[in-house]
Amino acid sequence: MCAKKNREAKIEVPAALDADEAARIAFASDRELTYHDFAEGEHPIVRIEHLNKSFDQTKVLRDVNLNVWPGEVVVVLGPSGSGKSTMLRCINLLERPTAGHILIEDQEITGKSTTDVNNLRRDVGMVFQSFNLFPHLTAKQNVMIGQTKVLKKSKAEADAEATKQLDAVGLADRADFKPPQLSGGQQQRVAIARAVAMHPNVLLFDEPTSALDPELVRGVLDVMRDLAENSGMTMIVVTHEMGFARDVADRVVFMEGGVVVEQGKPDRVFDHPENPRTAEFLGSIG
Amino acid sequence: MEYSRHTGALGTLARVLSVLCLALAIGCALSLAIAPASAEALTTDKATARPNEDGGSGVIGAMNTRLTWEGTVEDGEEVSSITLSLPEGATFDGSTTRITVLEGLTRIDVSGNAQANGASITVTFDEPIEAGSLIRLEITDMQFPAAGGDYVVSGTYDTSDGEMTLADSPAITIIANTPLQSIVTWLDGQAWVSAWNSNPFLGMFLKPQLLVTSFASLLPGWLLCLGIVLIAYPFAIALGLLFAMLKISRHKLLRAIAVIYINILRGTPLFLQIYIMFFGLPMLGININNNVLGVIVMAVNSSAYLAEIFRAGIQSIPVGQYEAASSLGMNHVQTMFSIIIPQTVRRVIPTVTSDFITSYKDTSLLSSVGVMELMMFAKNLTTVTGNITPYMAAAIFYLIVTLPLIKVVGVVESNIARSERGGGPRPRRGAGAAEPDEVEKPAEDTHSVSSNVDQASVLEALSAPFRSSTESLGGVADVR
Repeated sequence: MCAKKNREAKIEVPAALDADEAARIAFASDRELTYHDFAEGEHPIVRIEHLNKSFDQTKVLRDVNLNVWPGEVVVVLGPSGSGKSTMLRCINLLERPTAGHILIEDQEITGKSTTDVNNLRRDVGMVFQSFNLFPHLTAKQNVMIGQTKVLKKSKAEADAEATKQLDAVGLADRADFKPPQLSGGQQQRVAIARAVAMHPNVLLFDEPTSALDPELVRGVLDVMRDLAENSGMTMIVVTHEMGFARDVADRVVFMEGGVVVEQGKPDRVFDHPENPRTAEFLGSIG
Repeated sequence: MEYSRHTGALGTLARVLSVLCLALAIGCALSLAIAPASAEALTTDKATARPNEDGGSGVIGAMNTRLTWEGTVEDGEEVSSITLSLPEGATFDGSTTRITVLEGLTRIDVSGNAQANGASITVTFDEPIEAGSLIRLEITDMQFPAAGGDYVVSGTYDTSDGEMTLADSPAITIIANTPLQSIVTWLDGQAWVSAWNSNPFLGMFLKPQLLVTSFASLLPGWLLCLGIVLIAYPFAIALGLLFAMLKISRHKLLRAIAVIYINILRGTPLFLQIYIMFFGLPMLGININNNVLGVIVMAVNSSAYLAEIFRAGIQSIPVGQYEAASSLGMNHVQTMFSIIIPQTVRRVIPTVTSDFITSYKDTSLLSSVGVMELMMFAKNLTTVTGNITPYMAAAIFYLIVTLPLIKVVGVVESNIARSERGGGPRPRRGAGAAEPDEVEKPAEDTHSVSSNVDQASVLEALSAPFRSSTESLGGVADVR
C-alpha cells in the first residue's frame, strides 16, 4: 500500500460525517466487500455515501455507496446507462450530486464553493473517453499547462515533468506534435500523461479506450497497467475491457440501474458472480 | 492662320486690357530706358502661358497651353517681322497663331503671314508695324517641356535697320508634368485607345485615360475608407467581445441588454443607422466630425455582428474542453484565456474576415451623408466627366482589398480544417451541414452553454466548415 501523501490543511468535515467515525463504519462494513488488506484506522481515499443523481426527472444514480482505498485499482463494469460514468464524474464534481455525500481524503466535497472545487480537482485527475486534449497546444504543452497554470510550477520544471511523463507513456518523440497529428491511442496516452503530471491522489478513467480503434486499445491499456502496477496510483476505471479488469483490478464493481449490484475481487466476480444480473451481463459480453 | 479683329463687347474688354497692357508697356519701356541695352526697336512687354485645362492655376509641361507674347515698337522704329523662339523642348502644332496689333487704344488691321519652323515661329507683316504699336502674339496648342522649370521666350525681329535680337521675355514658370499626366498624354496619342474608346460601352465604362486619372483622384477617398474601417474594427472587436460575453452571461438582465443591442443593430439597415446618427445628432446640437462619426457608426454596427460570431465561436468549443480544463483544476478565467479563447480565435478568423470585408464595403454608404470616401469621389468625378469609368476605378479599389482577403479566408479555413482533422471524436455532421467554403452567420437565440441541443446546433452552424472527419464517433457506437 502506498503511503498517504501529506495533504494541506483539511477542510472541516460535517459533524454528521465525522471522518474517523465514518471510516470505522466503512472499515467494518466494507471489509468483506473490498477483499482488500488494509490496516485498521486507514481511511478510504474516496468515500461515496448514499449518492443520488438525477437529470431532470431521470434518476441516474440511486443511493450508491462505495469506498476506494489508497493505491487500489477499482474497475467499474456495467451496461450502458447504468450510471458508471455519472458516478465517476460526480467524484470530481463535473456533475453535482443531487443528494448524498462524497468524501475525498476525508474531506466533504459536495456543496463546496467554486474555488474549493478547483482545488479539489487538481487532486483528482481524469482521463476522458474522447481524450479532450487541447487541440491548439502540442502534446508537451498539453501536459505542461496544468502544471504551470494550476500548480504554478516554473516552465522548466513543468517541461521536465512533461518530458518524463510523455516518456513514461512512450511518446517522447511526439512531444511537439499537435493532437490532430496523433492517432487516437497516442492522444489518449498524452491525456493520461497530462493527468498523471498533476500527481493527483486519485485518477479517474472514463471509458478511456471506447473511442479507439481496436488495434490502438492495447497501447493505452499497457500504459494504464504500468501505472497501476508500478506507481501505486489510486485508480477508478470505467471500462468494457474485461481482460484489463481481470488482470489489473484489485476490485471489480458491477453497476446496473444506478446502483452497485455486486463487487469483489475480479476472479470471484468473473468466475462466480453472485448476482444474476452480473452473470447475465458478463455472459453477454463474453 | 488667323488674323482676327475683336468687335463689340469683346472689343471693349480688349481695349481695357490693352490700356492696362499699354500702361505696363510704358512701365517696362521706362525701366528699360534706364538699362544700358535699351537701344532696341522692339521691347518685350510680357510673355505668359495660360493654365492648362486640367492643371488648376498652374501651367503643366507637355500639355496644351496658350502662349501670349507682347511687345511694343519703340519710337521712331518700324518692325516688319518677328521671330519667336520657343524654349528648347517646347512644341506647337503651328496651326493657330493669333496676332493683335494695337496702336494706342485702337486696334488696327494688319496683314501678313505666320510661318512655323521647328521651335520658332516667324510672323511677317505686309506693312511694317509703326512705332508705339503693341503687338500681341498668341500661340495656341503649344506645349512646354514636360520637365517643367522657368522658361523664357527669345527671338529676333526685323526693322528697317536689319535683324535685331529680341530681349528675353520674363520667365514663365512651368510645373513639371506628373507621370500620371504623361500616361494620359501618351494614352491620348495611342491608336488602340482611340479604337477602344470608339466602342460606346468601353468608352463609357472603361475609358483608359479616365481610369488612370480616376485612380489618382479616388486615392484620398480610398485611404479614408481604409482608415475608417481600420480604426473602427478594433473597437468593433472589443465591443463585440463585450456583448458576446454579456449574451452568454448567467444574469438575465445582462443577457437581455446584449440581445436588445445585437438584435436592433442586426435587424435594421446600416443605411438607416447612418441617417439616424448623422442627422439626429446635429439636431441635438451634437456636432461630431463626419469621419469620426463614420468610424463610430461602423464600429457599433460591426460589433453586433461580431458579438454573434464570438458568442457562437465560444459556444462551439466542445464541452469536453471545459471539462478537461476543469479536471486539471483550472478556474474559469484560466480556462477561458488559456483554452477556450485561443481555440475560438482560430475558428472565428474566417468569419470575422468575412465580416471585415462586409464592413469595408459598407463604408460606401457613408457617401450618402457627405463623408468624402471612395464612393463620394467616384460619384463626383462621374458627374464632372459624364463617364462611368470612375465607378469602375472605385470597384477596382474595393477589389484590391477584398479579393486578397477572400483568398485569406479560404486558406485559413482549409488550414483549420486540416489541423483539426482527426482531432478526436466530434459530433456527427448534420445532414444539412454547410459547404466547406461557405461561411455562415451563426444561428440566433442559442443562449445556453449547457444545453446539448444548442451545443450541437451551434457547432453545426459555425464549425461545420472546419470539421471533415467525424467517423470516429461511429467507432464509439460499435464498441458500446
